[in-house]
Amino acid sequence: MGHEEELDAYRSQLLESLNSRPAIRSWSDPIQVYINERRVGELEGAGIGATLQVQCVDHIETVQLRAEDGTLLGGLTAPECGYRTDRVQISADTVELSVHNMAQGGTLSALFTPAPSFWSRAWKSIADVTDRVVARRPEPALAYGMRMVAFTQALLAIAVVGLVTDRITTGRTSDRTPSPVVQTATLSPAPVADMAKFEQQLDELARMQAKVDDALGSQQKGVVQLQQALVKLSSTQESFESNVLTVREEIEKRLEMVGRETDRQTRQMASRGRVEQEQLEAAIQNLTADNHRLSKEVVSLEEYNQGLKTKLQTAVASASKGVDPSPERLLKMADSLQATQQQMPFLFWVTFSDGTSQESIDKWVYEKQGHKGAVSEGWQEVRIVPPAVPPDRFLEQIRGEKIVKAARISQ
Amino acid sequence: MAVTRMHNTLSKSHVMADRMATVNRLEEVVSTSDEFDQVVSQALPVLLDRATGYTKRFLRETGQWSDDIEHEKFALRWGSEYLERFLVCGRSEVPCRPLFLFDSLVAKQHSKPEPFCYHPDLLRPLGRYLDGLVARAVVSRDALIALYHHSYGWGAGDVIAVTGLNGLESQRIYKNFRRWRESGWQRTMDEVGLTKAELAELGQQQQRHRQRFNSEAERLIRVAQSHYRKSEPDHYPCLSRSQWGDMFTQGYGCDYRIWHLALCLDCMQTAWGLGSSGSLTGEKPRLELQMRP
Repeated sequence: MGHEEELDAYRSQLLESLNSRPAIRSWSDPIQVYINERRVGELEGAGIGATLQVQCVDHIETVQLRAEDGTLLGGLTAPECGYRTDRVQISADTVELSVHNMAQGGTLSALFTPAPSFWSRAWKSIADVTDRVVARRPEPALAYGMRMVAFTQALLAIAVVGLVTDRITTGRTSDRTPSPVVQTATLSPAPVADMAKFEQQLDELARMQAKVDDALGSQQKGVVQLQQALVKLSSTQESFESNVLTVREEIEKRLEMVGRETDRQTRQMASRGRVEQEQLEAAIQNLTADNHRLSKEVVSLEEYNQGLKTKLQTAVASASKGVDPSPERLLKMADSLQATQQQMPFLFWVTFSDGTSQESIDKWVYEKQGHKGAVSEGWQEVRIVPPAVPPDRFLEQIRGEKIVKAARISQ
Repeated sequence: MAVTRMHNTLSKSHVMADRMATVNRLEEVVSTSDEFDQVVSQALPVLLDRATGYTKRFLRETGQWSDDIEHEKFALRWGSEYLERFLVCGRSEVPCRPLFLFDSLVAKQHSKPEPFCYHPDLLRPLGRYLDGLVARAVVSRDALIALYHHSYGWGAGDVIAVTGLNGLESQRIYKNFRRWRESGWQRTMDEVGLTKAELAELGQQQQRHRQRFNSEAERLIRVAQSHYRKSEPDHYPCLSRSQWGDMFTQGYGCDYRIWHLALCLDCMQTAWGLGSSGSLTGEKPRLELQMRP
């Protein structure tokens, strides 16, 4: 078979299946309900008045009813907003579809009504007849009760008429066949009394019927009023619920926003506080170190300043006294010069053995009561209070220490 | 010869005139559902060709078209699908102009994301078979239940045990199986356009290279399942074993189990053995494609 023929055959097959569309559905099979081609549930096929209510978040575009074998039984296309109802006939059964699309989503209501059975059809015919007798069209809610009353009344009326006829016939028969005297005397007034009695009963019946009619009429009015009140109540309830929902959503939104804002601010403040604390700590540390260094420098500068002052005073005194200083005075001047020299820091340079830790160096300097100065080409400048021994000897002592590699005075 | 040619020309022009008349009638307003049925039922070929043409154009515009019989069949199949929906739902739109209503329905379908399950491998006979089965399972419960048979070779009893169904539901499963065997399977094959020769060829391939055939089938059925699972209710996601366990032991989610496990190979493996009260303790099920119902 060529491709063209194969395609034609397939097309014909599809058209045939569209034309026939057999629905294989036994009476008890459920009906599958689809909204927007998505399965949402099923209607019990055997149930009387089976219903399905579906609420969707999205708009309802299409509703489809399918049999168990997948046959599309019926459906409708819904408007974007508003109501649409449709009655889908499935064999003798009926499904009433009602779609309501709103701004937020839509709702579907499906009601399955099976085909009426023989007895229900018979009952319906009788009810129709009695309806015609009472010549009223009651509300659906009252129909059943009214039909019962009307039917009973009709039966009663038929029975009464039958009895009356029977009595009349019996009376006439009695007239035509004369009986013994006693019999005629007793029988002739009986039908007349019965007739009066039956007439009275019929009157009562008619009055009762009128009363029942009145009662039904007032009940009907009451039901209508009740329905109106219910409609109002449900619309009020709906609007109230929607208001409550709106308010709740608004409150939730606000709470959420406030919470979020508070959280953000707290986090910001906390992080800012941490940063500031760290900065403050670092600044305090720096300040402490600077302060320590400065106090040391101030001490050394004061010492140096003191020495200079003394020297200046000595020089001024020498200059004012002019020449020929006494040997005692010269001796004093020499002593004072020595003292000044002793107060000036003694500076030397030192290198340390390989592998000596900074901690050991600091400790060594501390032991010497000295201060570290600049470092140049591996040589560390050290200032100490002038030693008691001569510089050369001092250097010899220094060089003898374990951590010192070399020592010298000049740079 | 010349007479025959003239006859053909006349016949063609007659067909064209008929077609034009049908289209004109479809453009007029119909006021009742009965009138709608009457007008549309007389124009089925015209409408089928129209929907097929739109589907072809959609495939071309989305770069999914090839000039071969597989693509032609695919377009015809979806044209027929749209037409079926139109026949049923269009009645509720009266009064309307059927032709414009039909055009809008097809356009609305094509404006949806992934309006149909398209994959080049699903156009070949095995892909078409699987796509047809899974697509049918979405709209037909008979096909859905039969999917257990076609995927794992199970009968009605096995399906009842695996999905942990109660007595009432069990009766329904037997009916689903019966209807599928009687007519459902053949109808599905007709709808996807699988010929007897193609089915026979598939059967032979399966016999020759069973393992390769089944692993290819598993790959393709996963593609189809992931597309068609979107038609499940929103609240039917994949679950963990403990969640499935809760559902089975507490006896709820009967529909959930039937629908989701048929359409998800992974969840079937996850939930394996939970529904049978420990009687199914064998190896986890693997796809063993059954061609026949």
